[in-house]
Amino acid sequence: MPDWKEEVRSRLSRSGLAPEREAEIVEELSQHLEDRYEQSLASGAAEGEARRSALLELNEGDLLAHELRRVERPARRDAPAPGSPRNRNMFGEILQDLRYGLRTLRKHPGFTAVAVIALALGIGANTAIFSVVNTVLLRPLPYKDPDRLVMVWEDATRSGYPRDTPAAANFVDWRDQNGVFEGMAALADQSFNLTGMGDPERLEGKRASASLFQILGVEPLLGRGFLPEDDRPGGPRVAVLSHGLWQRRFGSDPKVVGRSLELNGQSYEVVGVMPQSFQFPSPEYELWVPIAFTQQEAASRGRHYLQVVARLKPGVSFGQAQAEMSTIAARLQQQYPEQNADLGAAVVPLHEQVVGDIKPALLILLGAVGFVLLVACANVANLLLARAAARQKEIALRVALGASRARLIRQFLTESVLLAALGGVLGLLLALWGVNLLKAFIPDSISQVRAITVDAKVLGFTLVVSLLTGLIFGLAPAMQASNFNLNETLKEGGRDAAAGSKGKRIRSLLVVAEVAVSLVLLVGAGLLINSFLRLRGVEPGFKPSNLLTMSAVLPQQKYPDHTRRTAFYDELIRRVEAVPGVKSAAIANWIPLIRQGDSTSITVEGQPPAEPGKEKMMVTRVVNPHYFQTMGVQLSRGRAFDESQDRADSPGAVIISETAARRYWPGEDALGKRLAVGRVESPDDWLTVVGVVNDVKQFQLDAEPRPQMYLSYKQAGFFAPRYLIVSTSVEPLSLASAVRNTVWSVDRDQPVSHVRTMEDVLSDSIARQRFTMLLLGIFAAVALLLAAVGLYGVMSYTVAQRTREIGVRMALGAQRRDVLRLVVGQGLKLVLIGVALGLVLAFLLTRVMSSFLFGVSPTDPATLATISLVLVFVALLASYIPARRATKVDPLIALRYE
Amino acid sequence: MTYIGSHILARELKKGSAELLILSLVEDRPRHGYEVGSLIEQRSGGVLRFNVASLYPLLYRLEKRGWIQGRWVEKAGQRRRRYYRLTPEGKKVLAAQRDTWLEFVEAIGLITGIKHA
Repeated sequence: MPDWKEEVRSRLSRSGLAPEREAEIVEELSQHLEDRYEQSLASGAAEGEARRSALLELNEGDLLAHELRRVERPARRDAPAPGSPRNRNMFGEILQDLRYGLRTLRKHPGFTAVAVIALALGIGANTAIFSVVNTVLLRPLPYKDPDRLVMVWEDATRSGYPRDTPAAANFVDWRDQNGVFEGMAALADQSFNLTGMGDPERLEGKRASASLFQILGVEPLLGRGFLPEDDRPGGPRVAVLSHGLWQRRFGSDPKVVGRSLELNGQSYEVVGVMPQSFQFPSPEYELWVPIAFTQQEAASRGRHYLQVVARLKPGVSFGQAQAEMSTIAARLQQQYPEQNADLGAAVVPLHEQVVGDIKPALLILLGAVGFVLLVACANVANLLLARAAARQKEIALRVALGASRARLIRQFLTESVLLAALGGVLGLLLALWGVNLLKAFIPDSISQVRAITVDAKVLGFTLVVSLLTGLIFGLAPAMQASNFNLNETLKEGGRDAAAGSKGKRIRSLLVVAEVAVSLVLLVGAGLLINSFLRLRGVEPGFKPSNLLTMSAVLPQQKYPDHTRRTAFYDELIRRVEAVPGVKSAAIANWIPLIRQGDSTSITVEGQPPAEPGKEKMMVTRVVNPHYFQTMGVQLSRGRAFDESQDRADSPGAVIISETAARRYWPGEDALGKRLAVGRVESPDDWLTVVGVVNDVKQFQLDAEPRPQMYLSYKQAGFFAPRYLIVSTSVEPLSLASAVRNTVWSVDRDQPVSHVRTMEDVLSDSIARQRFTMLLLGIFAAVALLLAAVGLYGVMSYTVAQRTREIGVRMALGAQRRDVLRLVVGQGLKLVLIGVALGLVLAFLLTRVMSSFLFGVSPTDPATLATISLVLVFVALLASYIPARRATKVDPLIALRYE
Repeated sequence: MTYIGSHILARELKKGSAELLILSLVEDRPRHGYEVGSLIEQRSGGVLRFNVASLYPLLYRLEKRGWIQGRWVEKAGQRRRRYYRLTPEGKKVLAAQRDTWLEFVEAIGLITGIKHA
């Protein structure tokens, strides 16, 4: 059979087709020849005859190549411009638009880079913050039906504690009397010293009701939870381990159930291990034991120390639960008027309890990144508008060729969505990196922090945001570009078309909006920075430099009485103070600014006992004599504690703070007055005020100091010291292991934990504020940068457009100064309108931030003024550069510019 | 009219009507190039004939304009062939061309006195 392909190919040699296309044509044509050949044979022709008749089809071989060249060539040089009325096939058109868009973007790499980076910043910031919001606020808690879980608190609003930890007897009454909860479990803090296996370690754990795991609906990974018979005084000593503890101390031993543990000097049997996701109430708790109230404990309404979690019965609402609990609390008030005066009950959804602290901050940040994205959109819209103006001729041509308006809009939108998609991809990369950064900044107290990831929901969010972004910033330029008068454009000869008054107005408006939104962000950031600086400047009442702190809690079983504990601490202080580099050592039940501490009610001699619910409260610190000098707390009157004067058997002494002196002995000298802890049962209970010291911020820097008192650890047995504070003459952490070893030299089994410098404690206490401030600051800076770029773009563009006008002015004698004033003045006008608008917006919006502010009002005039000035300054700079370029215009050249 | 003159007229007429012919032939169902060529020859009783060199560039041009669309189709036991079908766009064009052609023929008839069969 003849080789048709060869025949065809030889005749196409000069058609200059692309190889793939040529192969296709060759195949099709040879098939045709083959058909003709076969038909000739079938109608009785001889082989040679059939071959000739087939080849006759190819006669005028040159004609074939020539015709094909005519048909195929133009396509290879350039696809038909989108908008031309050919190929009306939706999918094909979109593909065509995409290809065309990509080519246009590639042709202007500078423009594309600026736009994509701006979008990536906006989209990336949104994705990063959304991934945090998604994890922390949107993802359900890792329990069964988590929306039916609540925390129940004592509502002691009258005493300043709207969510106070319940007393055991109240918990028991709540549990037994309510009809709204399926179950109710109590938890109490319990620290354990783990010994007998390697280095001693201090573990934070919880005593918990046996029903805890059922209420939360979480099955243990290994073994079992608690049985009702475990939760009984004198019941078996059993423990459930967290996943982390099981991994860390037991090497994930699958046979750990049944092993025994030495906790606080007593042996416990491991009965279960919880799954990794179980972190209740927060990740630092690694161990649970049955709460097993003693009879005495279960009857106590005076000590408030529990946390209560409960599960609503199906169909019961939070409101119903709250109403029922309030009724029970009111009944208990009547029943126990002394202890339960003014005491209500507060039902709080568990989710709100967990995320309540961080929620407002996250929402504000989400709003802020939304603003950043808006600014980025305005910016890119501006760039696109400028470019659309420059493309006016191209568009005119297409319209002349019959492109419809819808088709043009679609082409423009395709380009902007393409830009947004590129921005989205880059933004996602930024977000992946940013999320890791965020994890480092988010305060540890947000327990889910470790799980923050970019999941499908986040990806979906990014996709939607990117597409929306593309549509938003693409719409204005598309509408504008497609909505113009063909005649006018052609008449204007493309010279002035771009400065068409409408486009200019939109662009100016966008700049005004950018400036306004940036101003709001900057004001927000400014207020937070201002607050933070004030917070940092708060005098904590002690000197945090060169202080090393650590916790060493003595186990009750090993040190059951005051004498033994005192002996341990005496020896410890003596040895630590002998360590080279140590100036002095102190002990205290709590260190400041960790949001934990003991408070007690007092009786003041000569004053009537307080009514129930209105007791005189004192933040109570149990310390050694060196405490004040170690911490740098100043004695203002009287004396500090003294080894010889304040022994266990000496008359009781107390040192109080200035606020305590003023509050409880108003108008008198507190020195020498007497007070008692709780009620006075015997004359020995009276403590004499021997000194007054300055106030210390015991709980948080942004709260007013409460009355405080200090007791000597030798005289006050009821609050055991937990912390060791060492004042050093060298870098504090360099002594950490020396001091730890010293503790172990006194008791090999005594765990040491929470080793930190006091400066770290101070800085951690304002971590949340720092987090919010830093992020908002970064976002505001990005917005400012984008706004400046936007303004710069508009001004450069205006200058380019007005080159001829400027040339004329200069030819007519205008000075460079006049030109500068002309251009900068125009930029300034836009900025001032933007600032005015922004101030109004800021005025309306910064109110939502008032709970984040410290010492500054949301409308702080100084902040508003400073920020406005900063913005105006940046704007001046952004329009000065193009203005300078304008002054360099050579009138001759400008006039020839036609 | 001389012989050469009528030859030129035939060529021009063929050229002018070729698009209409091809579009009409692929209107009902997709056909491949050989089929289109054969049908034109058959139905015109051999008066109109397109060879490869004239037929295929035309097909490709119509495809470029989006009036017809070619697609490779493989049938059992045969080598694959490229079938062309009319696109919605092509349908509109065909309708318009038919009208124009009719008007044209009528106009010619009115002037030259040639009667339509």
